[in-house]
Amino acid sequence: MKTRITLVSIMLLVCSLTMAQAQGKEKIQKYFSDAATEAKAASDPTEKRAILENSLSKMTKALDVVATMSSVPSTDLAGVQRLRASIQEKHDALAGLNGQTRIADEKLNAYANYLVQDMEQADTIVTISLVTLLLIIIIIILIL
Amino acid sequence: MAVLIASCASTLRVYEEALTKTASARYSVLFMIHGDANYVFHDTVGIAHFANEEALAKAHTVAQQNPEAEVFIFHDRPKSNAFLFFPQRDGDFFYYRNGRLAATHSYWRDEGVSRFATQAALYNQFSITGTPGTTDTSNMSGADARTSDSVVRMFVYFGHEIPEVEGLHYDASYPDSTLTIKKFSKDFQVFTANTKPFDLGVLSTCFNGTPYSVSSFAPYTRYLIASPTNVHLSYFDMAPLEHLERSLSNSDVHNFARKVATHAFNKLSSDVQTVVSVVLYDIQAVEQYVTSVNDAYMSSLLAIQSAPTLTLAHCDCADQAPFASPLMKNGVEVLYRPAQFGRDANKLQHSGWACWKLSK
Repeated sequence: MKTRITLVSIMLLVCSLTMAQAQGKEKIQKYFSDAATEAKAASDPTEKRAILENSLSKMTKALDVVATMSSVPSTDLAGVQRLRASIQEKHDALAGLNGQTRIADEKLNAYANYLVQDMEQADTIVTISLVTLLLIIIIIILIL
Repeated sequence: MAVLIASCASTLRVYEEALTKTASARYSVLFMIHGDANYVFHDTVGIAHFANEEALAKAHTVAQQNPEAEVFIFHDRPKSNAFLFFPQRDGDFFYYRNGRLAATHSYWRDEGVSRFATQAALYNQFSITGTPGTTDTSNMSGADARTSDSVVRMFVYFGHEIPEVEGLHYDASYPDSTLTIKKFSKDFQVFTANTKPFDLGVLSTCFNGTPYSVSSFAPYTRYLIASPTNVHLSYFDMAPLEHLERSLSNSDVHNFARKVATHAFNKLSSDVQTVVSVVLYDIQAVEQYVTSVNDAYMSSLLAIQSAPTLTLAHCDCADQAPFASPLMKNGVEVLYRPAQFGRDANKLQHSGWACWKLSK
């Protein structure tokens, strides 16, 4: 009986690891998509902007935490830093900081779509390993 | 045991043998859809889509809506196991003749000697264009009886950017294998080995509108549609390929290619906020430009080959001194709309050619 349970556990672990491998980048994409959907559903522009800024801030914090972890391979760090820079740029555009023109209220829905689509095209996410991507997701969940 | 046997058995199924042997076709379309990577994108209401599956569905629609064409569809799927342990085939093939599904097959993608060996064998087995001038026209009549030389041939490739430098992975299920445009185009020649080049090729990929990538396909097609920027995963819409007997009745491929490019551009522009560019390259007319910049471009590839991946970025060739030239306008028809937001929102024009730069 014990052997059978162990065997089933190993099979489930293999199965879940395979699924996780495919879903590393998808989780990050879904995070931004959910934030954009929530922002677009809000009626007040101030609320829309806050939702988007909040989602970007959480991701920035998660990336900062991951960047300081010794277990993160050095090959991932460049990708993490570039992703952080891209997110910071989007955050600056929302807030009108660092020389960027503040996104107008009436363009916030379109900007939310842009954010999702730009992240889906981001080659930096592809270069970050699965383990690091999952770490980022876990940290974001802990921050929530 | 049944699963094991099923996974090993040959799966070629021919549903319409008579159709494949006697019916005529004026058009031949080859769809190649790469799905062995992350192809998830989200629409504006947050619903996740699998781009490769949607491209596959559209390819089937094109095939069914073409009563005078043969349509090949090859779909690369991720490796998967039945009941965790029994590997399943990771390539699917569909062959339509005159709007009807004539044959299907599932295969292992790594069973051939080259990337497209298995696909080419199936292609040559069924294609009316496989051996020039030998199409069986005995059962055809009048205008329908034609040799393969008069068939209008097209290919469409959906996938991620095909890398130009060595060492980059492409297939998620084959982490030890790499792919380059050089290898891709070399292996691709099996589709033109026994016949004339394609009339129109479409690369629905990011950033393959470069002098090197375009020239790599020069031996295989007269016209090429590609993008020198990102292409969102919703891809080039191929609806204009439906009912080719209407849209391409006069066999004016150049004009038809314009319509395909314009439709894809308009659809993407209405759907996405990121940059959109669709470029039609007249392969013969661009030859002078790509030849003139070839040495400089190969030097840039050598330079980036040794650079860390993340310091690389694409740029408009018009913004790079060795590549900016009056010749770059010859033979290109550029449809471009900048991103609606971000640092490139103010870049209002594009030459239609992508080059490499080392980002700071």
